[in-house]
Amino acid sequence: MKDEWSVGRKNHAQLSTLHSPLSTLHCLPPTFMIEFHNITRSYGRKLALNGLELTVKAGELFALLGPNGAGKTTAIKLLTGLLRPDSGGVTVCGHDLTHDGRNAAQAMGYVPDEPFLYDKLSGREFLQFAAEIRGLKVADAADAIERETKNFEMAEFLDSLIETYSHGMRQRLAFASALLHAPRVLVIDEPMVGLDPRSVRMVKDLLRRHAAAGMTIFMSTHTLAMAEEIADRIGILDGGRLQFLGTLSELQRELSSHHASLEALFLQLTEGEEEEQKKEEG
Amino acid sequence: MSTASAALPNREIPSFEEEASAFWRLRLRIAKTLVRQTFAQARFRAALIIVLSLVLWCGLFWLFHDGFQYLRAEIKHRETHDQLVQAIFSAFFAALLIMLVFSAGIILYGSLFRSPETAFLLALPARTEQVFLHKFQEAVLFSSWGFLLLGSPLLLAYGIVAQAPWYFYALLAPYLTAFVYIPAGLGAILCLLIVYYLPNNRGGALASFAALLLIGGGWYAWSLTRGPESNLLTPTWFMDLMGRLQLTEQRLLPNWWLSAGLIETARDEWSEGLLFLVVMIANALFCRQMAVWTAGGFFRAAYSALCGCGMKRKRARPALVDRTILNGLFFFPKPMRLLMVKDLRLFRRDPMQWSQSLIFVGLLALYFLNLRRFNYDVLYIGWVNMVSFLNLSVVGLLMSTFTTRFVYPMLSLEAQRFWLLGLSPLRRATILWSKFFFAAGGAILPCSSLILLSDAMLDISLFTMASHQLTCLLLCAGLAGISVGLGAALPNLREQSPSRIAAGFGGTLCLVVSTLYILVVVLFTALPTHFLLAAEAAYGGQYLEEHQSLHFYLKLWMTAGTLGSIALGILATALPLAIGFRAFRRMEF
Repeated sequence: MKDEWSVGRKNHAQLSTLHSPLSTLHCLPPTFMIEFHNITRSYGRKLALNGLELTVKAGELFALLGPNGAGKTTAIKLLTGLLRPDSGGVTVCGHDLTHDGRNAAQAMGYVPDEPFLYDKLSGREFLQFAAEIRGLKVADAADAIERETKNFEMAEFLDSLIETYSHGMRQRLAFASALLHAPRVLVIDEPMVGLDPRSVRMVKDLLRRHAAAGMTIFMSTHTLAMAEEIADRIGILDGGRLQFLGTLSELQRELSSHHASLEALFLQLTEGEEEEQKKEEG
Repeated sequence: MSTASAALPNREIPSFEEEASAFWRLRLRIAKTLVRQTFAQARFRAALIIVLSLVLWCGLFWLFHDGFQYLRAEIKHRETHDQLVQAIFSAFFAALLIMLVFSAGIILYGSLFRSPETAFLLALPARTEQVFLHKFQEAVLFSSWGFLLLGSPLLLAYGIVAQAPWYFYALLAPYLTAFVYIPAGLGAILCLLIVYYLPNNRGGALASFAALLLIGGGWYAWSLTRGPESNLLTPTWFMDLMGRLQLTEQRLLPNWWLSAGLIETARDEWSEGLLFLVVMIANALFCRQMAVWTAGGFFRAAYSALCGCGMKRKRARPALVDRTILNGLFFFPKPMRLLMVKDLRLFRRDPMQWSQSLIFVGLLALYFLNLRRFNYDVLYIGWVNMVSFLNLSVVGLLMSTFTTRFVYPMLSLEAQRFWLLGLSPLRRATILWSKFFFAAGGAILPCSSLILLSDAMLDISLFTMASHQLTCLLLCAGLAGISVGLGAALPNLREQSPSRIAAGFGGTLCLVVSTLYILVVVLFTALPTHFLLAAEAAYGGQYLEEHQSLHFYLKLWMTAGTLGSIALGILATALPLAIGFRAFRRMEF
């Protein structure tokens, strides 16, 4: 069974040797925009991430897949600085999250699966706060708000209180606020939850366009089709370990050689890990 | 979807001042919206809250004003009078100091570690200290409004009676604000350190700390009232009391600075008053800064540690208390018992819901335990009766906060997930009855025990004890009926937070109706009992036997009062429940 996934594992090994452990060259642009270096993180006795090694380059759209409890949310929380690793380090644009978290956060935009928005603010006021806290000058903030309002077609409701927004409107506002300061890295947890087909198309196009413009995008998703459609590289996480890491073409080669869909690949990979886990627990 | 913003190089992170301004603007915008919405959509509620607060404030002011006038009239010697007032102020503010430490700590735990806003703010490039300060200011505001409501009438009444100069009133606000920051800062530091060092045992640590404090407070309260009894307001009594209050008169405690500073200011010693104010402000800033530094060093790590706590292994079989309900209350239908167990589990697994109520129950129990120690033998016998009914009202009010804060929102939360119970093979009436019995049962145990303790300590007659227990039963049934009935009739289907549901119109109405109900029921039984005892004390039993008609009318009044309170209890239970049942039956999902 293990040989079947040698492409992914080999690729993973190659990538691991490519990057230096935690970039220290602050004067030069970092080779990788996102680096997980040998990350271990546990919740009590449960090991959520076990020696995770992962790097994402500039302009890359990376999709992290995995079943429930695989460690995706833990990886995202580590990346946004909400959690600290038990061992290892996470860097964003060369800034270590534990010791230089503010600069890392400044370089990043984050859209959680259930975004927090202030119900008693209007969409515009919320965006103004997000702009102020990221240090945008008044004129720049106004331009950025106008730009994202146009991008996410929010002009109609931007001046209404957020408490009156539908789920889709809230999600679009969360995206706009994360992109307001034109971050170099965008982190998204389940980007399509609750969006209508039109908004889904809008977000997919937007993500591809931003990636083409040089933005690094790291998204965690359950939607296999979406990962297949827009991601440059896919990682499949299960039991706290990366079970597969590869580009789309590598993935397609893998799929064609086994005449399998991404769904079949995903199920096979995660099923194996589940069994291993059960054996360990047993 | 026209343009994609090109990724730009890192922008300069805003300065501390710029960040602070952004947070202030955020708070201001939210406050403006809240005020605008309140006056546009909830005028009745706002007016009700303002009127009730004013009534409470004026009542307290009148009480304190009369008390200070009495002291001034009884103690002619200025120095002795001021010393006594300072001792009273010190004890009062010492109690509030401890309450504020806990209150701020508990509120901060909820807002720093359990609020989704914190996760949002921590993912922004805002300084950790700034995020903490944003939540800290909120906690100071929430934890201190009760203190201001109690403290301001006390100090204003004192200023008027003591004929204080104008600047006494001008200095009140800075004095109180500076005082509030000290316990709030200490509470914040405690909260951060407990979560950082004991993320798995934070509940146990807090409970141990609270228990230690309660034991210490209990011992101190007992020591205050122990020893030989002497006549009220005599020199011996005065010396004795001053000796017992020594602990709260420690020169290094903020409550002493506050009381000494205010008394000096009231005596027109402005330089002394200013000196104490400066000491207070310096210490307030120090505590605030220490809290900010602690947050800078520990907050993120504590947040991460708390997220990393392992899930506790859940027992497959229900807890003892659940099994007791499931097996012991066999006379209820099984679905009703299951619903009660579910509500009990939700209640006990949310410490934010019950922790403050538990502190109040503990403090009330301490106060009742020490009732015997007070020198009430020298007092008029009617006072004992008044105190016992006052205790009954206080316990009733405490129970009304439980029914309003927890039971009333339960119906709204249930209605939001009504597809679950609505589609199950349950009669809707069963759901409401389960809530009613849960609320009444949950209230009757602490209410009845506390009143029994109070009555035993006051050494009142068995007949009055029985009457108090009956009143307890009426109060609990009525309060449960009001909260369940109004909860079902006026559900809030948009709000997820129980505290916000309770703070809404329905919750406010529930609290007001509950308060009025408690007052009327207690007055129905307390007034005739009081007058009967007063007549017996004034004229003696012999006189009353000779004047049968007076005795008869007093007895008749007492019987009518008891019957009236029973009738009112039945009405307060049945009427809201009937309204609630009708609304609940018609509810769509």
